[in-house]
This record gives sequence, structure tokens and C-alpha cells, in this order.
Amino acid sequence: MKKESNSRGIVMFAHNNEEIDYFRLAVVNALLIQKNMGIKNITVVTDPHSLSQGEKTLGKRLIKKAINNIVVIQKDKEFKQKNIRLYKDTSHTTKHLPFYNANRCDAYDISPYDETIVIDVDYLILSDTLNHCWGHNNELMMNWKFQDIMYERKDPSLSRLYDMGITMYWATVVYFRKTEYVESFFNIVKHVRSNPQYYKDLYKWQGTLYRNDFSFSIAAHVMSGFVDKGIPQLPTTLYKSFDTDDIHSAVDENTIVMYLEKPRSPGDFMLTKWQGVDLHVMNKWAINRVSEELLEYAKS
Amino acid sequence: MSTRLTKALEFANYRVTLNNQQAQLKAKTQSLLSYSINGGTFTIDLTLITFCKQLINEDQNEVVLLDIYNNPIKIEVDTFYDEILSRYYEVTNDYYAEYEKLRKSRKVHKVLDLNEKGK
Repeated sequence: MKKESNSRGIVMFAHNNEEIDYFRLAVVNALLIQKNMGIKNITVVTDPHSLSQGEKTLGKRLIKKAINNIVVIQKDKEFKQKNIRLYKDTSHTTKHLPFYNANRCDAYDISPYDETIVIDVDYLILSDTLNHCWGHNNELMMNWKFQDIMYERKDPSLSRLYDMGITMYWATVVYFRKTEYVESFFNIVKHVRSNPQYYKDLYKWQGTLYRNDFSFSIAAHVMSGFVDKGIPQLPTTLYKSFDTDDIHSAVDENTIVMYLEKPRSPGDFMLTKWQGVDLHVMNKWAINRVSEELLEYAKS
Repeated sequence: MSTRLTKALEFANYRVTLNNQQAQLKAKTQSLLSYSINGGTFTIDLTLITFCKQLINEDQNEVVLLDIYNNPIKIEVDTFYDEILSRYYEVTNDYYAEYEKLRKSRKVHKVLDLNEKGK
């Protein structure tokens, strides 16, 4: 892709597994980004299999309309087989599936833009709030603070890598400019990704799953001079729902109605209308179920 | 279950939904009251508006303000004041209208703007 001067754009990573069509989510979100943020520079990093599946189900024309730069890479098969995650489609359905997130650390090298916002495909852009990032004095920003959209629910385990550990930053949304400092930051992220066992022993994160949240948090700690919360937060709050929640319906291009699982009553839900604020929807099946509606709204 | 108890539980369910919906509205308002300029981000609130008005009254033109990150940002105060004031009016008026609508909704489906069948 030809590089523009002072270019700004969004980068997403989309690698399907046996059940979840991440590429479809990327197309839906790309159209939402165009509609709600007015950004046309969208790069999606994917693999040949996910791309051909997308072309089959969505068509090349729609993909071209949504994404103006597709980067195709080959997956690291060994990593894919090892990194298994428990996915939930509400508390009623759980599945162990491969989670391919090995190349997020390459975002700095892959991004063709001077200013980049890397987002998860399931971070639905329902507003233009992220436009506040462009031209910011801070060269790197990401959130450690988050807010569950079911305000009563609290999960302190998501605040730190382990109970006595460093603060956990969310790699869900990361803003960066191409500078020497940010390049070094991503070099640390890559080092964590390549030596997970060493950093796991050092920072004592829980479980066997490799998460970008961990490697970005460790890089944030190191690059702040081993100070906690040293990297500034984004000028927006990170709102999230959980994989135990579901989507009732998509009302328009910036409104969705969610089923939220009640904290003291698993499997029992309440409804909420979420409008005009970006939202991390952890239940990927739920987004895929309303993807047709979202595509229609975002296309119009 | 007695009718009285059923009604009480329905009301409890309505209150939970209403509280969450009000919190969502507040979140949306907060996000809209954020204003970015010259590489800094400000939260538009009464303190910022009043301080800018005071600077204008003192015939200040270019000033340095601390943004939400405590970074110093140079701004042209007249234009900045007009921008934040108009944004404040717009956002709080919308907030008021939506808040009143919520306050008057006495059923879960009305709080969520759905019909009785949940569509």
C-alpha cells in the first residue's frame, strides 16, 4: 500500500478458527468504523484461509468496500495448536478452541500509517470517540481502566496480571505513533511473545494461555522504567461486556440491545440498550448472529 | 407465587434495568463531553467553562491549560470557549431529553424503547 504523508488509520487482526469467523467480524467493524468515525484507512491482517472463507460468504466487492488494505500472512501452526482458549456463548455453551493472536506484536511493522489505532475485531465502533486520539501529544496510549456495562458486576481478577502483580493494560485498543520509543515498546512485546515461559515466571500471570493483554502490560511496565501505570490511558473509557452476555438485536449503526447475565444468577439475563459508545463484545457468536443486521445498517 | 410478590419482583427487575440504563446514558454523556485540541484532551465541565470565561474577561488571548493528562496545551481562548460552550449546551440538552424520557418509562420495554413483545 502506498504510504500517505501524516496518514492515520485503523489496524485489526482477523484469524478464523473452526467456529468463529473473525474475518466477518472485521468486515462488520470496518464498515462501522467508516460510518461512525469517517475513517477509510483500514488494514486487516489475516491468513489465506480466513480471507477465502470471507470471500466465499461475503463476496469480494463487500470486502473491498469495507477494507482498503488486506495483509495476508501465514499462521504459525505450532502456536495455533498450543494456544487454546475457553470460549463462551453465554454460560450455556462453552468450547475450547484455538486462539490465534501471535502477530499483534507486529502491528508496528505492519501498519502503513504514521498514526495507528489497533483494535480487536470485537471492539464495536459505535461512535466517533476514538477520533480524539489523532494528533495527540502522547505517542502511545492504552487503557488499564475498564468498565463492565453491567455496572453491578465486579471482577477484580481483571485488574492485575495476578493478585500482587502489575496492573493489566488492555490490548483491545492501542493508539500509537511511529516513533523510536514506540518501536522499542513493540520490540519488548515481541520479546515477551517469543519467550512466554520466562516472562510468565517473572510476572506470574495465571493460566497457560498467551494473551496480548499480558505482553502489552509487561512492555508498558518495562518501558515506563518499571513503574506501574506509566503509559497514559486513551481519552476514552473501555466499556466491555462478557462472553456470558448475548446480543438481543442491533437497532441501528450505533445502537445494540444486550442481554447481560445477572451477577448472582448465572444463566439469567437483564436487557440494556447500548447507544453511541464503543463496546467490547466478548461473545463472538453473538456478534456473528447480528452481523447481517449490522452490515445492512453500516452499508446504508 | 402471590400476585403481590410477582409485582414486587417485576418492579425490582424494572429498577435494575432502569439503573443500568441511566448509567449508560451517563457514560455516553461523559464521552461526548470530551474535547480534543492541539494534541491535548479536556473534559468539558463547569470549572473549565467558568475559568475560560474568566480568562476572556481578563482580555487573555492565548493561554496554556492543563489537559486531563496534566500536559500543558496552548489554546486560543475565545475560539476554545465558544467550542466547549456550544458542545456543553448540545450534550446536556440531549442528556436532559433522554433522562426525562427514561424517568417517565415505567416498564422494562419502555425503558429500552422496545415494543411489548421485545421487538
